[in-house]
Amino acid sequence: MQAITSVVNAARFAQGLNYADFVAQATVNQDKFIANGATVPLSEEDASFFRKAAAHPRGPFKILALAEAWCGDVYRELPTAARIAEVAGMELRVFLRDQNLDIMDQFLSNDGKSRAIPVFVFYTKDFEYLTHWTERSASAHAGLAVTMKEAKAKLNLPQSATFGTLPDADRQALLTEVIARVRPFGDQWRRDAIQEVRQLLANALSIPNAG
Amino acid sequence: MPADNAAMAVRPIVYTIRGCDSCVKLLSKFEAEHVEFEERRVELSQTVLEEARRYGSLVPIVVWPDGRVQQGFGDSIGCFI
Repeated sequence: MQAITSVVNAARFAQGLNYADFVAQATVNQDKFIANGATVPLSEEDASFFRKAAAHPRGPFKILALAEAWCGDVYRELPTAARIAEVAGMELRVFLRDQNLDIMDQFLSNDGKSRAIPVFVFYTKDFEYLTHWTERSASAHAGLAVTMKEAKAKLNLPQSATFGTLPDADRQALLTEVIARVRPFGDQWRRDAIQEVRQLLANALSIPNAG
Repeated sequence: MPADNAAMAVRPIVYTIRGCDSCVKLLSKFEAEHVEFEERRVELSQTVLEEARRYGSLVPIVVWPDGRVQQGFGDSIGCFI
């Protein structure tokens, strides 16, 4: 297990927003949170796994989420964390990233260069760190990479081209093509995220990934 | 056409999120090059967010006075809105 000396203790955790309050305070995208909350792709078998994990003697008892309401990855995935907490009896607290950079900086991605969100951190009852999940599923990252290659091929752009090196017209055409191609995959990414969180918890607790 | 429509502006309108690295880098570039612009922060208002979505799916979005629209900046894809 990755060792993280957390800046989070019981008092700090209690300062986070519960999910309902997070949505209520959001200045944007409340409709997205509500819509995605109504369609969380959590199966009964998934729910059974999370209940079993929560019942483990060192199981997850608290979920800390780093989020901002404006972020597309957040309004896609945070409702799932809220649903997991609900079905498994865990306590979820949401911390606004830009007001809690000391927590955020413990969970950087992209080799320590990115403050990507959402981050879901799982703790035991005694705030022992178990594991965390960040931003989007591996399938989403891989899908974006494949889509980028396919879009470059369609537009007759060199595969070595990057956004920073392309002329603006080509850059805009590539972005438009990539966005159109990835849009249908949002629901699959949500399902894959649930499976990734399950596997992370199964590994952290040395239990079977089974419901 | 609404009075605040970006196509009627004399300065580029830049839709941003202040927590977005690409947005911050674009604003820094504009400021270094003394480009006058109007910033509209999408994270502060659902109305501004919906306005930005008429032009694209990723911030930063620049709407130039001649109607050209640019999404994203630099080497990253930008932030989905």
